[in-house]
Amino acid sequence: MNKDKSIQDFKTKNLATLSWLLLIALTIVAVLLASFIDNRSLYIVSALSIVVIKGQQIVDVFMELHHAPKLWRWLLLSYIILIPFIIAVIYLV
Amino acid sequence: MTNASFTAAQENKKLPGDLAMWFFILAELTVFAIFFIGFAISEQQYPAMFTEGKAQLHQSFGLINTIALITSSFFVALALRAMYKAQSKQAVYLLFTAKAFAVIYITVKVWEYLSLFELGITIETNTFFTLYFLITAFHLMHVLLGMVILAIIAHSVWHEQTQTHNLSGFEAGASYWHMVDLLWIILFPLIYVI
Repeated sequence: MNKDKSIQDFKTKNLATLSWLLLIALTIVAVLLASFIDNRSLYIVSALSIVVIKGQQIVDVFMELHHAPKLWRWLLLSYIILIPFIIAVIYLV
Repeated sequence: MTNASFTAAQENKKLPGDLAMWFFILAELTVFAIFFIGFAISEQQYPAMFTEGKAQLHQSFGLINTIALITSSFFVALALRAMYKAQSKQAVYLLFTAKAFAVIYITVKVWEYLSLFELGITIETNTFFTLYFLITAFHLMHVLLGMVILAIIAHSVWHEQTQTHNLSGFEAGASYWHMVDLLWIILFPLIYVI
């Protein structure tokens, strides 16, 4: 039982660390992409897609909503999908 | 499903913190959504002004602040996990580390404001800077409030007023801090990068 708990603790801590590394890497990638992508529309879609991935990590891993009631998890995930989508539509249409 | 596994499944479906905090978080997210959409619409109306305004900002300041807030949020997540394992002292140290990264954020933000003021740029300069100061200062206020909440949590844990079997207050404070991080990851590309 204690061994199972230790394995679970190890997994959750490592998941948070992996998520943190992913968030840092994506932040740097989003900034660097500006130098590589000349097409503004493509860059806007790329940068906002990165926001969605980062938001999902924060909601599911840091906020621990992955195991929360579906309504609350999806309320937060909807926000992090919908707001970048609306911003993209405003910029691109 | 056995009774034991059903109970475990029910426990897994628990919302971290208390419900009131989550309604507060939703209200805050809604206010910022209006700001974000308002900023994007204004940029479409005054594209030259916004391009020029963004060029006067230091993207590196925004990048440092993004990394600082993400890292701070990470340490708060680790602090909560330490509390789940009844490691109160370690949780307090992790909270202090999280606060140290928040101090980096505040220092950089104040530095950025001062460097703009030196150039004669204020909230009244134009629509871009009105929105820039309004949105970033409002977010900064949330960071300051979050730091007060983290300090109260750390004090409570250090003086053993927080029980490891009831972490509702700790979870609520941590969720608030993650929301501050969540808002910044939208704010940063919108104002500094795109």
